[in-house]
Amino acid sequence: MNAATGLSASDVDYRHPWSVRLWHWANAAVVAVLLMTGLLIFDIHPHLYWGEDGQGGVGAFLSLSGTHLERAVPETELSIGRYHWDVTGFLGSVIDDGFGGKYLLAASAPSDWEFGATRGWHFAFAWLLGLSLPAYLVYLLCSGRLRRMLLPTREELKPRGIVKEFWQHMRLKRARGEAARHYNVLQKLSYLVVIFILFPTLILSGLTMSNAVTAAFPDLFTLFGGRQSARSIHFMAAMLLVAFVLVHVFQVFVAGFFNSMRSMLTGRFLIEREARR
Amino acid sequence: MNSISRRAVLGGLAATGTLLAGCGRVDGKAPFRQLLRLSDEFTWRAQRLILAKHSLVRELPVSQLSARFPVNGTSMPQGDYYKRLVDGEFREWKLRLDGLVERPLALTLAQLKSLPARTQITMHNCDEGWSAVGQWTGVQLARLLALSGLKSTARYVVFHCLDKLDLDGNYYYESLDLFDALHPQTILAYGMNGKELPVDHGAPLRLRVETQIGYKNAKYVDRVEVVDRLNSIGKGRGGWWEDFDNAVWYAGQ
Repeated sequence: MNAATGLSASDVDYRHPWSVRLWHWANAAVVAVLLMTGLLIFDIHPHLYWGEDGQGGVGAFLSLSGTHLERAVPETELSIGRYHWDVTGFLGSVIDDGFGGKYLLAASAPSDWEFGATRGWHFAFAWLLGLSLPAYLVYLLCSGRLRRMLLPTREELKPRGIVKEFWQHMRLKRARGEAARHYNVLQKLSYLVVIFILFPTLILSGLTMSNAVTAAFPDLFTLFGGRQSARSIHFMAAMLLVAFVLVHVFQVFVAGFFNSMRSMLTGRFLIEREARR
Repeated sequence: MNSISRRAVLGGLAATGTLLAGCGRVDGKAPFRQLLRLSDEFTWRAQRLILAKHSLVRELPVSQLSARFPVNGTSMPQGDYYKRLVDGEFREWKLRLDGLVERPLALTLAQLKSLPARTQITMHNCDEGWSAVGQWTGVQLARLLALSGLKSTARYVVFHCLDKLDLDGNYYYESLDLFDALHPQTILAYGMNGKELPVDHGAPLRLRVETQIGYKNAKYVDRVEVVDRLNSIGKGRGGWWEDFDNAVWYAGQ
């Protein structure tokens, strides 16, 4: 028992080695820059198409378009298929249509914004993600962390277990005692999806937008169903990543903000005793 | 976008930024600029490795031609000189090829058309995000460079254009390394979709460099200059967008 903290060694779980913590925070920064620059790049042609080519918003399944361009805040409309929403003041710069700047919650790019440099930054940080992800995958496999911490057990994958866990989340109940020593099944599944599906999809669909890369690896077009499909999948995967980040941050608060932050900064996660319930 | 430059549009944006307000300033500092250049150089080297077998960019069937091919950048170069060229159907015009070559050339459009031609249907990918499929007919740049003979110090090929994209009067230009310049699908095109190259797509001659993104494909090419370094041309970054918008020079991403 430590006199200062009143904790015994068994109450503290050394959960995250330095490699995991480094990857987590480096990735957080990289993803933040990629999302912001990516949004600016999307903004200059805010239309998503399916298939090979696509231009001028013709046949787009998702579009932002503006009317009353002479106003300080032009009216903006988000269209997905046959559905339309007024997103004036929330979403949408349509530089193609002759005005620009507003993209999210009416925040706009600085006046000296350089589109060319934005792409440059996107690629610089894409390199960081593209190089660190394979390294992290090798680490996960070789260290046994994948099997030990991320793969759900057969028991956990039963529908009843998943529903129960979901219900626990909804009631904002945090795990205590033994249950707090490992990730719950929803955490496991979401981390697996991000690491093994979302990030690889983002990287490969991004590469499919490159003429030079697809010259060397034309199968990428087959994989994503065309150049514009790859661009759309890239954008949608990025939006799923945003959804993950929101849920992830929500979970940090449910699990206990300080405890979670400590575990990702120092590696140590405090296990609350069941008796305190 | 029409003939107004994207830069002019961006310049008019209100500076009410919050989310990314720091970017422009951060960007302006030399160490960050160096970082950008380093990343671009890394991409350049990496893509030279994966393209070591000189793979061709995919060519598409006629059925995939886009019904509409957007016009970006200049749609009609300003000035009397270009207007006279158009009125004379470019008979008065000659492509100059000079710089670090053994035999500088000046070729009329008719002479260019008499050389063996390459026709390719490819996808043009704009850095803004759209794609359009077009058919291009022209002379392989490698053939012209072989005709004039590269000097041993030649490293880059610069394309000087007839149009000014900004109000300051800077002519558009672009440049390629010899790898892209000598690629079999890199052509100087005088034909588009089976017809003469239209004015808004860069008549009389435009560059098609299929391993690269849109803005590298310079329109209104007037002079091809072979150089050993890029820093004495324009502001020294290898192209108009590179000079004035900090676009990456090796844009093959």
